Amino acid sequence: MRVAIAEDSVLLREGLARLLTDAGFEVVARCGDASALLGAVASLRPEVAVVDIRMPPTHTDEGLRAAVTIRAEHPGTAVLVLSQHVEPALAMTLFADSAAGAGYLLKDRISDVAEFLAAVRRVAAGCTAVDPIIVSSLVARRRPDDPLATLTPREREVLELMASGHSNQGIADRLYLTLRAVEKYVSSVFGKLGLPSTGGESRRVLAVLLFLRPETDRNRG
Amino acid sequence: MQAGLFVWILLAYVFCGLLAWTRRPESGFGRLMVVVGFGAALSNLAWSANPVLFTVGQAVDLLVVALFLHVFLAFPSGRVAGPARVVVVVAYAISIGLQLTVMLLGGFGDGNLLAITDAPGAANAVHAVELVTLSGLLLVGVGLLGVRLGSQHRAVRWLVGSFALGLVALAVLLVMGLFVAAGFTLVQRLTLFVLGLAPVAFLAGLLDARLARASVGDLVVELRAEPDDLTPALVRALRDPTASLLYWLPQYRSWVDHDGSPVTLPASATLIPRDGEPVAALVHHPSVEAELVRAVAAAVEMVIDNARLRAELRARLSEVRASRARVIEAGRTERRRLERDLHDGAQQRLVGLSLRLGLLESHLDGDPAVRQALAEARAEVATSLSELRDLAHGLYPAVLSGHGLAVALESVAAQATVPVRLDVRLDDRLPEPVEVAAYYVVCESLTNVGRHANASSASVEVAPARKTLVVEVSDDGAGGADTASGSGLRGLADRVEALGGTLRVWSPAGGGTRVRAELPCG
Repeated sequence: MRVAIAEDSVLLREGLARLLTDAGFEVVARCGDASALLGAVASLRPEVAVVDIRMPPTHTDEGLRAAVTIRAEHPGTAVLVLSQHVEPALAMTLFADSAAGAGYLLKDRISDVAEFLAAVRRVAAGCTAVDPIIVSSLVARRRPDDPLATLTPREREVLELMASGHSNQGIADRLYLTLRAVEKYVSSVFGKLGLPSTGGESRRVLAVLLFLRPETDRNRG
Repeated sequence: MQAGLFVWILLAYVFCGLLAWTRRPESGFGRLMVVVGFGAALSNLAWSANPVLFTVGQAVDLLVVALFLHVFLAFPSGRVAGPARVVVVVAYAISIGLQLTVMLLGGFGDGNLLAITDAPGAANAVHAVELVTLSGLLLVGVGLLGVRLGSQHRAVRWLVGSFALGLVALAVLLVMGLFVAAGFTLVQRLTLFVLGLAPVAFLAGLLDARLARASVGDLVVELRAEPDDLTPALVRALRDPTASLLYWLPQYRSWVDHDGSPVTLPASATLIPRDGEPVAALVHHPSVEAELVRAVAAAVEMVIDNARLRAELRARLSEVRASRARVIEAGRTERRRLERDLHDGAQQRLVGLSLRLGLLESHLDGDPAVRQALAEARAEVATSLSELRDLAHGLYPAVLSGHGLAVALESVAAQATVPVRLDVRLDDRLPEPVEVAAYYVVCESLTNVGRHANASSASVEVAPARKTLVVEVSDDGAGGADTASGSGLRGLADRVEALGGTLRVWSPAGGGTRVRAELPCG
């Protein structure tokens, strides 16, 4: 599988490249900033891009902007954004229209090699990866008449894994459950939260994230 | 009748001119009026049968137009400057140059001694150009007077109006002379009459200034009450809406106004000295009589010390405000730099280290004890990273500079300990200090809600109102927050006030708490 990397720290960029190469990926581009990445994606059309959110010149959110551009202009390239901070709102910016083929992980996750590679593969396959810390901060948020309070602990676990972008099979593997049992929990969670059971997994992720997100009246230009 | 009107102009201008000359020798205006009076009389020579006198009279016939324009535009200082100067110079050049050209071409009949050729057609054409150009210049002069009208001293305003009337009448007269229309004589008489009124208007203006001097007495009475701001009293006494008093603060080597803000000393100001050093300056319009200004300055000098002390106090206060703003701004910049250094330095290195540990772990297939030790090391690094992340975020909310207030507040609301209703109405990004201050107002207020309020919900509203950003955080908790000693609230107030904003807290016992910050951002 062909992958592009954008990360301004040489140390991390080379580390990431080594990790991905060892796992059988073909690293086709190693970029130090967002414009180099956009150029590489346009000419090389990798299947997935792993992007640091803070890069030169402003060190604010170049990576995220580039990721949004790639998703709009090159639907064939999946994007996994790495961030040093837990910002649910930024993840939601990335998933604005669809969570398919997009991921938002804390940078630390790359140290758990197996988990990280699984996330890259999941995103490249058109699914979603959302950092567990972001999901748990959303789930932990206090709400009036909290509908999450009606969930059993097991249903809560299933909800968090769903929001992180895991498939039913993935959830079954992690919780040592049968696929059938997971499907039962999923439909029970959807029923309790009043969410319509939607088809694809990435649509399911977005629906759950939107449900968990703070209710806001926003009017941003 | 005609002759009578000319004599009237001669007498009016010369008499009033002499009066002004003696009373205001420093102004050239009196002299100018005398010249205008004689100039107008000189053009009467054109009626003479003597060829020499006739020629001289013809030569200066239209010079009087330029003279009138000059005197009206020069009122009251006697000087013309800027566009008025250009207009006057051009008028002189045309009224002399073209008039002589007409005479050289043989215009104005047989008595003209200057004629060197006889080309009546050309002479008439040049004369027509001369008349039309001069009337055009007169109308430009009226426009300049109109511009002045707005900024003028009240006493001058109606004078300017009567001058404008005279100039318009003169312009009409010149154009009528060109077409020899039927009512020429009537208009000419009317013009002479109006022009003759102008010196009376000037005299009246002079009298008005004398009357104004009586107002110095009222000023003294007003000043004895030691008003905080002397400006209104000065405006009344000088009858000059632009009048004000500036104070010299030697320790700042600067002039300041009533509010203590530094200003540059305008040209038209009268210094009030003490022991050879200026202490204050009376700023006024140049048209205000020098004598009146001196009288007012003398009256003001009696109360100047207290007023100056107050201005100095205000100057010091605004200096303290500015230095507080600088301190907070320096702190913000420094925290931002530290966050950046952490991110690019320690955080990156630790992520790199954990990546290497991870790679090592994935290539290791030996001793389970080593594997265990590696996993523990990796967990240790992960904990450090998590602590560093919290530290960096506490130093400076990086998401704020990249994504603005709305996104940053969404994360804050998501992590609050009570349900938060967030309403952020912003179309554009705001200056960074404003966003940071607003961000901390919300963070600190929500932290307080979680700690003390015992609330079940809170709401955050952020909306622009005119040139301020209004941030309001309210909860339904116990209220009774200690607004005086709560260091968090005090720090917030410092931060908000340093930007020139206000922070108010309502916290009645049992009635919830409401924190409202208004931050100027224009």
